[in-house]
Order: sequence, then structure tokens, then C-alpha cells
Amino acid sequence: MTLQSLRRWNLAGGVITTLTLLGAIFWAFPLYWAVVTTFKFEQDVVREGIDWLPIRFTVEAYYNALFNTKLGLWYLNSLLTSLAITVLVLISSAAAGYAISQLNFPGRRALWWIILASFMVPIPALIINHFVLMADLGLLNTLTAVVLPQLIAPVTVMIYKQFFDSVPKDFREAALMDGASQWQLLFRLYLPMNWGITTALAIITFIGAWNNFLWPFLAITTEDKMNVTVGITQVTDAFGVKYARQLSSAVLAGLPVAVVYLLFQRRVTQAIMLTAGIKG
Amino acid sequence: MAQVELSNISKRFGAVEVISNLGLTIKDGSFCALLGPSGCGKSTMLRMIAGLEEVSDGTIHIGADDVTHAAPKSRGVAMVFQSYALYPHLTVAQNITFSMSLAGVSKPKQREAAERIGAMLQLTHLLDRRPAALSGGQRQRVAIGRALVRDPKVFLFDEPLSNLDALLRVQMRLELAKLHNDLKTTMIYVTHDQVEAMTLADLIVVLDKGKIAQAGTPWELYNRPANRFVAGFIGSPGMNFLKGQGDGAMIRLTDGTELAKPAQGAVEFGIRPEHLTIATDGPIRGRASVVEYLGNTSYAYIDTAHGPLVVEADNAGLKAGDQVGLVPDLTKSHVFDSNGMAV
Repeated sequence: MTLQSLRRWNLAGGVITTLTLLGAIFWAFPLYWAVVTTFKFEQDVVREGIDWLPIRFTVEAYYNALFNTKLGLWYLNSLLTSLAITVLVLISSAAAGYAISQLNFPGRRALWWIILASFMVPIPALIINHFVLMADLGLLNTLTAVVLPQLIAPVTVMIYKQFFDSVPKDFREAALMDGASQWQLLFRLYLPMNWGITTALAIITFIGAWNNFLWPFLAITTEDKMNVTVGITQVTDAFGVKYARQLSSAVLAGLPVAVVYLLFQRRVTQAIMLTAGIKG
Repeated sequence: MAQVELSNISKRFGAVEVISNLGLTIKDGSFCALLGPSGCGKSTMLRMIAGLEEVSDGTIHIGADDVTHAAPKSRGVAMVFQSYALYPHLTVAQNITFSMSLAGVSKPKQREAAERIGAMLQLTHLLDRRPAALSGGQRQRVAIGRALVRDPKVFLFDEPLSNLDALLRVQMRLELAKLHNDLKTTMIYVTHDQVEAMTLADLIVVLDKGKIAQAGTPWELYNRPANRFVAGFIGSPGMNFLKGQGDGAMIRLTDGTELAKPAQGAVEFGIRPEHLTIATDGPIRGRASVVEYLGNTSYAYIDTAHGPLVVEADNAGLKAGDQVGLVPDLTKSHVFDSNGMAV
């Protein structure tokens, strides 16, 4: 590489870095503004001019969100439904992926095409059907209603199938010689051998379930059964238009997801790559 | 321990028949090698015995039991795979006792078994390691340990040494021979390496295109090949073949050389490299093209009117380019008719 081309390379690198940095600032600014606002007094929030940092620091907004709303209960509802969705989605997807990948049964190909086809249908397009079904089952305003429609996860099935396909058949045959049943093959061999994928999928499923708004918003109208994402919309009614309090509820609602992301950053990236079809 | 009996076994994949009406009895305690070139059906045969492949026709008996349609776990067989197939997420001890764990045997009993097998196979210090931290030979021993722990009636080996380097292969071969001597269990061993088959087995079954070309002891296969395929397949370097015409009392080769070996009609004269002697006045004339020095002996490749012939030159100081004569030891030569069958 000549000196000239090296300079050109450095210049291109510099321009890309600057653009990326500007993009990051542009993206992160609303988040920064929301967090800064939560530490301000309401009067300071609506004051004229821009305060980049709080003039007077307070955690009153958090205190109110935590102790004058049902945020704790909403957290619990979110936790219960998200955990249930994660566990059930992983077990059912792993079992379906295993069956399609490893078992020979009539209709296997048809089942695979149905799963692929269901991947093409956006969930919001089915939401009225889900609502009518849950209403007919008498499950509206229950946590079960929040969980059930979210168990449809064709992408997870596809990822498991893809990974189970790549397990060399010698392992399966060795385990069969050792006396393994199909369940033992799945839970003692295929899942542990693809543990990294399960972890990645668990994290992204949990985050998706926690952040989901539209379906829980439709399925639940009782405050006590609300998830945190739906619950924070009630803070407006509780406080009137109070920006610091509303934003503090939003920050608290998003906090667990942010913590999960920070703890498992690498796994989340891997999972996003997997769901985008890039094998990590 | 048990005898394995295959009766009229056939295996078809769609319209392709890879094993055709094959019958074979492997005696209790025998070490049987299934030998043949790639695609001859030897691995398919082993997999049918294991229960990993359905039989299209025929029956398989292990001991007194008809296991033709039995599940692999119910056949009383254990298999060592070419790739070892060690579960990467389990330790050596867990790999060895995986079958016990599946059967719900208590942890202390599993550990006891792992330690017993580990001591037998010199794996004691490796029991808590994972397969990724083991060498090829150690992995091979773990795979054998996993088979041993099941105390099977029959051991099945599918080219177990082919992933090892030459030195380790010799060591493991010796260990397998010792293991068979100690256990006296029936072992069926698939290989395409005739040295492994010759050194380990007391019964070698040579397969060609899904059929048994010959079954016999290593001595029989080497010294009394039933056909040209077996004669050419067994032995390294392989047997030399020279085309000729027999008149009842002798064979006249294509260049007119006469050999005092009784034969009739169009035949092929077969002679192993060690049964050809270099002599200045030998009847088969040629020129040395390559001389391979192996330390204890040498192999010379001689270009003749019959094509290239290999001769064990016994470090005779032969050089490439030398003109030589070759004398065949007719008492150890072979003759095959136009159908390739030994005369």
C-alpha cells in the first residue's frame, strides 16, 4: 500500500467515523434528554430555554412513579408474562425445530412450509383474530391472554431447525446406540449442544415480550393486569401532563431491558444476526 | 458374547442395491474385518447390524435373537464411530457413562464405572476433561470406553483409526488387539486399510460391489485368493498381473515368455512383488523406472512389455534405469481365468 493510498484510506476512515458518531449522537439525544428531564423539577422542565443538565437535581419524579402508581405490579406482570413467553416459545420452538429437522413423519414438509408461510404474515395483521379468539375463550383481561398469541414464533423454529440440521448425524446415532429416546435426544443432546443459540434466543424473546405494547394494550384493560409498557400510559391520567414523571416511568419501564442488553450484549447481537438470517 | 448371523441380507436405496443377498456367519468371540474399497457396502452392512439402517430383505441374528427389526439399543451391540462422536458438552466421564445416565443409573455407580473403564484405557487423569481438550488417540480411547461400559455382546467399529496419524494408528491397532484378547467379545471392524484388517482380524470378509468376494483368515486371503479382485486388493504393493494363454501345461505370456505353470485358455498370471527375483538372465525383461528404499527393503518398479511390475528388490543396489530380468517363483504364483476366478 503506497503512502498516498494510505492517506486516502485514513481520510475515508475519518469521514466514516465522523458520520457514525453524528448518527450515534442524533440517535442517543432523545434518550439523553429523557433521562436528564427525569432529574428536573416539573417547573424547570417547562421553563423557557434549553437546560442541558438539571439546574436543580431531584429524584422526585422517580419517587412518584414508584410509589404513587402501580409500577411494581406492572413490573411483576411484565416479568411473569415475558418469562412465560420466553420459556414456552423456546421449548415449543426447539421441539418443533427438532421434529422438522430430525424426524420422519407424514406431512413434515407441509408443516415446514406452513411455518415458513406464517413467518410471512405480520403479527399485527392477525391481531383482530387473536382478540376475537381470546374473547371467545373468555381470556381477555388475563395474563394468559397476553401470553398465548405471543407464542407464535416461526423465526425461532427456523433457527432451531437450521442449527439442528447442522449437528453431525454421528452424534444422534451414537446417542441412539446409547439408548436415547427422542425427548432425551432433544434435551440431553441437541439443546445442550446448541446452548449458545438457546441463550441468544431467550434474551431476544424476553426483550421482545417485555417491549411488546400493541397486543397487551388490546388484551388488557384492567390496571392490575397491565404490563409495564401499557401501565405507563396510565401515568398521564394519574398525574396530568407531567413530563418528568411520565419520562421517569418510561425510563423505569425500559431499564430491565437495557440492563439485560448491557449484560448480554454479545448474545443479543448474535440473536439479531440469527433472526436476520446471518449465522453467528 | 454372541455369534452374528446374516442371512440373505439385501439393502436397497431406491432402485440402487448396495448389498445383495449376502450371507455371513461371524463366530462368537471372533474379530471380523469387513474390508473393501469405498462404496462396496461395508459401512452399510455394519450399520444394518447396528440397527441404524433398515434391512430391505433377509434377517440378522445376534446370538439366538432375531434383531432384524429391533431398535439399536435393544441389540446388545455398541459402536465406535469413525468421527468418535464424543458429545462435546460432556466430560470424558460423562461421555463414557452417557448410556447409564440415560437409563437412570445413580451418579455414584456411573462414576465407579467411569473410573473402572478409565483405568482400563489409561484415561483416569482425563475423566473430567472435555473432548475438545483431548488428542486424537485419547478421543479414540474415550469412544472405545463408551462402547465398553455397555458391556455389549458385539462391538462394532466403523473405520475407527482412519482419523489418526500413522504412528498413533499403529499404537491403537495394538491396543485394539489387546482389548480383543482380554475381552474375547465378538468384534466387527470396518476398514479399507488392509493392514488393519490383516493384523487385527481372524476373519476377513472382502466385499466388492455389495457382495462377498471372499471370506477367510488373513493367511487364506493372502496366499489363496479366490479371485483376481481379492488377489489385487490384498497385499501392498499389490499383486502383479500378466496376461497370457495357457495350453494345459504352461502359460505363454503376451511377449512369448513361457512359464511352466499349468493353465488352459486365456488367463492372467499373478505374482506378488516378494515372489519375483531380480536376475540378469530372468525371463521377464524390463527397465527399472523407480526404486523406493524403505529401510528394511526396497521396491523397484520395472517397466516391461506386460506393463509396470513391482518387485521387492531387497536392497540389491538396483538403480533407476538399470536393465533387469525377473524370475517368478512359480510355486507361489496364481492363475486366474477369464472370469477372474482362481484356477
